[in-house]
Amino acid sequence: MLRALTVVGVALALFVAGCFAENSWRLVRTSIPEMGRKEIEPTLGQGVLLGILGGLRTVIADGTWLRSYVAWEKRDRAACEGLMRTACALDPRARYFWENTGYVVGYDMAHWEIRRRGGYAKVSQEIQDGLFKSYAQKGLAVFEEGAKHTGGNPGILISAGQMCEIKLKDNKLAALYYKRATEATNVPWFAYFLCAKSLWEDGQKTEAYSWYRKQWLEKLKGVGDSSPDDLEHLRYMEAELNLPLLQRIPRQTWEK
Amino acid sequence: MPDSMKSSFRRVAWISRITFLEAIRQRFFAFLIVLSAALVISSVSFRFMDFGHGELKFVADFGFGGIFFFGSILALVMTAQMFFAEIENRTALTLLAKPVGRFEFLVGKFAGVWAVLGVFIFTLCTLLGLVLWGRHQELVQIAEASGRVPPDLSVGGIFAYTLLQWLRLGVIAAMVLAVSSVARSFLFAVVVGAMTVLAGQLQWIAQEALLRDKELGVLHQAFLWLITRLIPNLQQFNIGDALTLDVTSVQVGAIGAASLSGGVYIIVLMCIAGLAFRRREI
Repeated sequence: MLRALTVVGVALALFVAGCFAENSWRLVRTSIPEMGRKEIEPTLGQGVLLGILGGLRTVIADGTWLRSYVAWEKRDRAACEGLMRTACALDPRARYFWENTGYVVGYDMAHWEIRRRGGYAKVSQEIQDGLFKSYAQKGLAVFEEGAKHTGGNPGILISAGQMCEIKLKDNKLAALYYKRATEATNVPWFAYFLCAKSLWEDGQKTEAYSWYRKQWLEKLKGVGDSSPDDLEHLRYMEAELNLPLLQRIPRQTWEK
Repeated sequence: MPDSMKSSFRRVAWISRITFLEAIRQRFFAFLIVLSAALVISSVSFRFMDFGHGELKFVADFGFGGIFFFGSILALVMTAQMFFAEIENRTALTLLAKPVGRFEFLVGKFAGVWAVLGVFIFTLCTLLGLVLWGRHQELVQIAEASGRVPPDLSVGGIFAYTLLQWLRLGVIAAMVLAVSSVARSFLFAVVVGAMTVLAGQLQWIAQEALLRDKELGVLHQAFLWLITRLIPNLQQFNIGDALTLDVTSVQVGAIGAASLSGGVYIIVLMCIAGLAFRRREI
């Protein structure tokens, strides 16, 4: 009886300590990156475990990334994507891993698949286009996941936009990605132009001009040397749209 | 403070002092501290292997990883060794024949080992802090010259991490003492202790990956829920890079809560060790 009571007491004491740990974990959790079980499971037995345990996570993510290059050279799709995704899972806040995984999946793998099926001469153009689109969609999914983990990193969103333009030939979707990139705090200067260009090429010329004009007046005008390149693009749009003089952006004193 | 308590403290302090001196003279301790120090210092030279992280993040992660790994090994092996050396050399018998309580003996052993672990952690974290600070100064100069934003480094964060790691090693030492109190051999204590540490480090994955799995049955989920509360969560102490390089990502009260949780674990595990050791035949 006494022994049973002791065991229950020990379990209860551990449970109480566990409740304290639960409270602490809730506060600490936000400082530790999310880690998906599916991404790390296939490579758990290959040295990745140490990274999950706590320390050396960055180092092991780098090691895993290096190993993914070996698979990339061999054009081994499964191993390459698996290892790259493991590196992303180990260090999900690193832009580099997400961006390059997206590039490899979205741009390279379709070519590997075509070569595996006998080469460009043997695979019909229709199937090739289908493959390019399907791998681009997969690459886009990687970029989306990366944007989620990195708090909407503008570099990843711009890469996603480029993939929509180049591989999916979807300017509307590209513009959406570029627009998201412009909403980030450390957005590169060219993201505004890319967004306006995509909308323009999608046929939404008036929308492209209105949006770009709004951005220039509200944000770009007050930055550095007032972004003269963007104003030049806006002047081109005004000319193309044949806007009356009064509807155009007033001429700036420094403008050529 | 009553006299009996005073003398009890004196006995515990005496045992812990002897344990500390014995442990710090060990070659194993010297070997691990030299190895970890080499790893911490060499972290700057390995930064060329890094992809896309901030340079300080790589150096910090490399150093924290070494401290975490070798610190865990030291806590596991040294605690079991200090305990079983007393049992196997029969010095425990002589000691416990005197007016020294079994719990006092255990607390003394724990305090001695924890103090050695403190020396290990504080030495290495100071070294890592110096390495990071030195590199940070260089990076600030480079950033200023090129008009970029210099990286952040929080010296207070390194100190907070040191305290958390010391607590983590304390929890490990208390766990190993609890296992050693019932174990018959050193090897068994080390292996079971290592498994417990492994489970403690991985239980957050079980919490996040398995408990969210909707395919699991209610019973299975309840069992997992209970297990994740019984096994100490050791991952809560591993927020070194956030504390050092991105202190804004650490929630207010997180360090206090983790410290409290570590303290509670140490007390509970020491009580378990005391209960088990009370019945043990020496």
